Amino acid sequence: MEWGPIILTLKLAAATTAILFVLAVPLAYWLSRTTSRIKPVVEALVSMPLVLPPTVLGFYMLLAFSPQNAFGDWLDKWLGIQLVFSFAGLVLASVLYSLPFMVHPIQSGLSSLPNTLSEASYTLGKSKWTTLRKVLLPNIRPSLLTGIVLSFAHTMGEFGVVLMIGGNIPGKTRVASIAIYDEVEALNYGAANGYSLILLALSFITLLVVYLINGGYLKRFTV
Amino acid sequence: MIELNVHKTLQSAQGSMELHVELTVEKGQFITLYGESGAGKTSTLRMLSGLMPPDKGSITVNGTVWFDRERKTNLNPRHRNIGYVFQDYALFPNMTVSQNLEFALDRKQDKTVVEDLIATMELQQLRHRKPGTLSGGQKQRVALARALVRQPGVLLLDEPLSALDSAMRQKLQQYILEAHKKYGLTTILISHDIGEIIKLSDKVYEMQNGKIVRQGAPPDMFGLGKTSAKFRFTGEVIRIQKEDVVYVVTIRIGNDAVKVIADQSEVSHLQPGDKVAVASKAFNPVIQKI
Amino acid sequence: MNSFSGHIADIRTSDALSVVTVNINASVSFKAIVIDSPETASYLTKDHPVNVLFKETEVVIGTGEALAVSLQNKLKGTISALEKGPLLTRVAIHTSAGEIVSVISTASADELDLKESTNVTAMIKLNEIILAP
Repeated sequence: MEWGPIILTLKLAAATTAILFVLAVPLAYWLSRTTSRIKPVVEALVSMPLVLPPTVLGFYMLLAFSPQNAFGDWLDKWLGIQLVFSFAGLVLASVLYSLPFMVHPIQSGLSSLPNTLSEASYTLGKSKWTTLRKVLLPNIRPSLLTGIVLSFAHTMGEFGVVLMIGGNIPGKTRVASIAIYDEVEALNYGAANGYSLILLALSFITLLVVYLINGGYLKRFTV
Repeated sequence: MIELNVHKTLQSAQGSMELHVELTVEKGQFITLYGESGAGKTSTLRMLSGLMPPDKGSITVNGTVWFDRERKTNLNPRHRNIGYVFQDYALFPNMTVSQNLEFALDRKQDKTVVEDLIATMELQQLRHRKPGTLSGGQKQRVALARALVRQPGVLLLDEPLSALDSAMRQKLQQYILEAHKKYGLTTILISHDIGEIIKLSDKVYEMQNGKIVRQGAPPDMFGLGKTSAKFRFTGEVIRIQKEDVVYVVTIRIGNDAVKVIADQSEVSHLQPGDKVAVASKAFNPVIQKI
Repeated sequence: MNSFSGHIADIRTSDALSVVTVNINASVSFKAIVIDSPETASYLTKDHPVNVLFKETEVVIGTGEALAVSLQNKLKGTISALEKGPLLTRVAIHTSAGEIVSVISTASADELDLKESTNVTAMIKLNEIILAP
C-alpha cells in the first residue's frame, strides 16, 4: 500500500469542497428566494447526480472534454486545459457529482430562516450581501457544516466518475477508491484492505464530527 | 409628514383582495391601524417600508419621494429612514443583545447611540445574552431599541405587544410612548387592543378588506365616546385610591382635576397616565350661576 | 360600572327625549331615558344591539315583596357577596341577567339585614342608564 492515493483523495475532496462551497452558497440562496418559473428545472438539474449512475456523468464528460471533440479540442488549444485524465478534470467532475450534497443542506437551512430576519436587516440599512454574510449564513452554521462534510465524504467515496474521466494515473488521478479496485483485480487483498480501512475510518470520523456538532454535544463543552 | 396613496392586489387564502390605502400622517403624530386580521394593515406597513412594492400610487415622506410608479422611483428599504418592529421581533439569533443593536449602526455613526438606548430600554443586564434566552417582553425591548439605533424619522410597529401579558404590555406601552416623544418620531402602530390604542395614539384608522373604513380620535372611535351619555370628557388618570369599598379616581380634564367614584372592576385595568373618557348622563349635573 | 348587552325592543319618543326599552334576555329588560331620538341617533332602531351601562352607586336595593316605588327597572336576585366598609357596602347580586354590583351605605345594609343569599330586588332609575351602541 502507498500513501499517494490517500493523499490524492484528500486533496481532491478538499479542492472539490472548497469550490462547491463558493458555488453552492449563491445557488442555494437564489433557490431559497426565487419564485422564477425555471426554479424546478434548476432544482432537478442540481439533484440529478443523486439518481444518475456516476458512469453516465463520467461518460458524457469524457465525450465532451475529449480532445477528439470540438469543445475539448478548443479547451486544449486555446486555454491549454486538458480535462480528460487530469486532476483538474477530476475536480470538475466531482464538483458536478457532489453538487446536491452541498446545495440541499444550505438551501433548506436558508429556507428555514424566517423572512423577517433578512427584512429586519434591510430596514436596518444593510445590503443583501451584508445580510447574507452577517445574518443568514451565521444562523445556518449546522447546515453549512453538514454540506461541507457530506460533500467531502461523498467525494472521497466516488468511483464511477473518476474511473471514466480520470483513469488510473498514479499521482494524478489514482485516488483511493480506484486503488482499491486495482489491488483487488491484482489479487492484492492486503493493500486493498489498507486503503479500505483508511477510507472507512475517514468517513466515520467526518460523519461523527457532523453529528457531534449538530447534535449539540460540542456546545456543552464550548459554552 | 407621510403621504401615502397605494394600490395593491393581494393574493390570500380567501382569494384576491384590492388594497387601496390613502393616508396622511403629520410629523410627530402617533397613529394606529386597527381592524380584522387580513384587512391589509401589515401590507400597508410593508409597502411603506419598501419590503413590498405597491402596484400603483406614491409614497412621499417629508418631501422625499420613496415610491412613485409613474416616475419609476422605488427607494430601497435600506435607504428609507424607518425603524420597523416585527411581530416576531426578528432578532438575530447569532448575535448578543449589544451586537443586535450595533449591527444596526451606520458606518459613520457614533456608538454612543447604542449605549444610550441600552440605558433607556433598561437592557444593561441583558446586553451579553443571546435572543434565544430572553423572554417575550425582553425581546420586544431589544427589538424596539434596535429599530431606534439609526434614529429613524418613522417608527413602524406591527402588533409588537400582542404576545405579552397585560402587566408587561403596560410597561412596554410606556417605553414606546417615551421613545416616540424623546426621539420626535412619527409612529404607526398596528394593534387590536382598544385600551392600548386609546393610551398611545392620536388618531386611529380602521381598515376592512383593504380599505380605510373609519378614522378619528380613539375615544370617539371606541367605547364611551359613542354612548348616549351627553356629559362626557376625555382626560388622563392622575391618581387611583381605594376609599372604603370603592375607588376614587382623580382625572385631569383640561386644566381641572375631577374625582370619580369607580368600582374595583373599573380600576383593575387603569393606571396613572392612562387616557380615559369620563361620561355621565345629562340628568345628573346641577347648574349654578357663578 | 355594570354592563349588560341586549337589543332594543321599543322606543317611545317625545320631541328630543326618548324612553328606550332594551331586552337583555327573555325575562329581563331595562328602560332608559336619553336626550336623543331616532332622528338624532342612528342606533335608535328596533333590534339594534346595544350595551346598557350604569354605576354601582345608582343601584337601589330593596327586600320583601310588592315594593311600591317609582323605579321602573327592577331585577330580582340573591346576594352572592357582601363587602362592608365603615361607610359603604359593596353588594354583588346574582340575577338572571348576570351579576349586578351595588354600592349602598353600610347603615342601610345593616338596617335591611343584608347577608349572603338574602333575596333582594335591585332597582335603577330610568335616567341613570347609559346606552352604548
